[in-house]
Amino acid sequence: MNMLPAVLTGWSSRRYWAAVIAIFGMLNPLLVHALPAYARQTGQNCIACHAGGQFPELTPYGRLFKLTGYTIGTRNIPISAMAVASYTKSANPSADPAFAKDAVALFQTGSVFLAGKVTENVGVFAQATYNNYDNQNPDSGKWQGKWASDNFDLRYADRYISSNQDLIFGVSLNNNPSLADPWNTAPAWMQYVPTQFGVTGPDASPIVGQLGAQVGGVSAYAFWNNTVYAEVAGYQTANGVWSFLSQGTANGDQTKLRGTNPYLRIVLSHDWGPHSAMLGLMAMNASVYPDNLMPVGPTTQYRDRGIDAQYQYLLDPHTITAQLSYIKESIGNGNQTGIASNSDNHLRQLKLKASYVYQAKYGGSLGYQSTTGSSDSTLYPDPAGNPDTRAWVPELFWMPIQNVRLGAQFYAYTRFHGATANYDGAGRNPQNNNTLFVYLWGAY
Amino acid sequence: MKQSANNDGGVQSCRQLPCRWIVMTHPGLVIMLLTLAACSSVDRSRQLADPGTPATTIALQVCANCHGAQGASTSPNFPILAAQSAAYLTEQLKSFRSHGRSDPPGYEYMWGISAHLSDAQIDGLAAYFAAQPAVPGHITKPALIDQGRHVFEQVNANGMPACASCHGAKAEGNGQFPRLAGQHADYTVKQLRVFQGTEQRPEGAIMKSVTHGLSPDNMMSVAVFLEALPALK
Repeated sequence: MNMLPAVLTGWSSRRYWAAVIAIFGMLNPLLVHALPAYARQTGQNCIACHAGGQFPELTPYGRLFKLTGYTIGTRNIPISAMAVASYTKSANPSADPAFAKDAVALFQTGSVFLAGKVTENVGVFAQATYNNYDNQNPDSGKWQGKWASDNFDLRYADRYISSNQDLIFGVSLNNNPSLADPWNTAPAWMQYVPTQFGVTGPDASPIVGQLGAQVGGVSAYAFWNNTVYAEVAGYQTANGVWSFLSQGTANGDQTKLRGTNPYLRIVLSHDWGPHSAMLGLMAMNASVYPDNLMPVGPTTQYRDRGIDAQYQYLLDPHTITAQLSYIKESIGNGNQTGIASNSDNHLRQLKLKASYVYQAKYGGSLGYQSTTGSSDSTLYPDPAGNPDTRAWVPELFWMPIQNVRLGAQFYAYTRFHGATANYDGAGRNPQNNNTLFVYLWGAY
Repeated sequence: MKQSANNDGGVQSCRQLPCRWIVMTHPGLVIMLLTLAACSSVDRSRQLADPGTPATTIALQVCANCHGAQGASTSPNFPILAAQSAAYLTEQLKSFRSHGRSDPPGYEYMWGISAHLSDAQIDGLAAYFAAQPAVPGHITKPALIDQGRHVFEQVNANGMPACASCHGAKAEGNGQFPRLAGQHADYTVKQLRVFQGTEQRPEGAIMKSVTHGLSPDNMMSVAVFLEALPALK
């Protein structure tokens, strides 16, 4: 019996899929024998869990669905698929590979999810993504696609609830710090529809958001009375037993961490009427070897400290969301590891976004991104030696049906890599990186 | 990709089956998963297709997410169920289950939730929420209270009985006629629009003629009055 899609041609991909299928098979013997069914686990509409239907932002109910381990409802064969087609147009494309597909409509990525209830207390959200433009053949220059492990969150959750007390707690095995978080101001979730082409931000960003599908970690969390959420986690490089969490990530592209690296999170949340607000704090320390291929010797010490906040107004037919994320990162020992000239650097990343959706069909958002930090000519190779980048990101989107979204984003830069003009020393201005990104996103 | 060297070129051998592979290569993961799988409690289940799941468990583990553990929902997207008439709740759940009630929030949220509930579970859920303490109500727009009271108590302009004649003088509900006192005004207005303009709630067909002459202003004022009613002297 061949359970593998024909497009999976690499043995590593097969091993990944075999692992995921085997996990389900062990937990649910019926699963691998039953015919695939498309009935939903809860039978509910997307808007029950996603605010105004805009993936991936969660409603209060969506957060509870996630925190209770994706276990509400009736066990089904939990298979979904997602695809993104896109068109990227940059203001002034250069020879950089980021512009290789400028002004070309293309099938960008496709994902398959195994997601849903496994037992009364165990659920999973496992995503494998096929990147149609993963790399270029060194001989022919042709782009090659590849399957790889994407978000993975296997969790056990329990809930003690009475008329006046409510305690949800659980454990998550996942492959990205903050992936287990149910708020969309967490680094793993505050994002637009991803694209590798065009310029959608500076090169520098805090380490907490750069470890996806490279690390493995276990987090323990609790949510008390819909008010206080706390999470403690530790992450290691996902190899050996945990290599399925980083399947498809090339060894040279996989960040190598020393030992176990802590991640902490605390959130205060409050719902009143149609309003929902949260205020959160996040901290992560990471010790990173400078050479992914030679994880020995001194490490660079990253210390990320973040604050985030979200406000939602959810009352049919209106959905309003305002989000803020601010992360300050200190980068120590970079002069010893060779990645920086200074012994200490700092990086600050601010992201703001406000969105409005009408009838879960028509939406728009305005985002603002600012990355600032200390100057270091080794860490930031462009002439200014500084990461300063600022961009406005307006977006319009339309969801003709609940699982299809057509959107257009525009990235408008006012600074890039520390300069308002000629940031690369060769006459390139920040505005040359302005990028129009049109996407068609569908899920089934 | 070249075939692996030990591929016999035909049917996969047992050793190559995924389960064997992962057991051999990831024993820690297997042990952890089996341990997690064993830690299940039916008493705190969120399973909606098992007639053995107690109604109170479903109420607290599932319904409470939107409607509150005591049926006093926070968001006006979701109706307050506390102290609601059990007969009405039973009728609604069965109507969701049979897809009889098809107003958008009904099918978006409730068709799936109710799809596999047994009659006994529905009766149990209705009893659970009917037994919860009524909400105290709150006054949001004092200026509309008098107009809303008038709409609630008067004989309808087209000769239909006053709201109070079926729903009770204090809108406390009666059998199949739901309790309205304390209900979110936004929810009440939206349901009045459904009754007036659609056939999406056939079990409430009587409301189509009752709401026929209601203006948007009347709907808003009576809804505000009803939300405030328990708090009014």
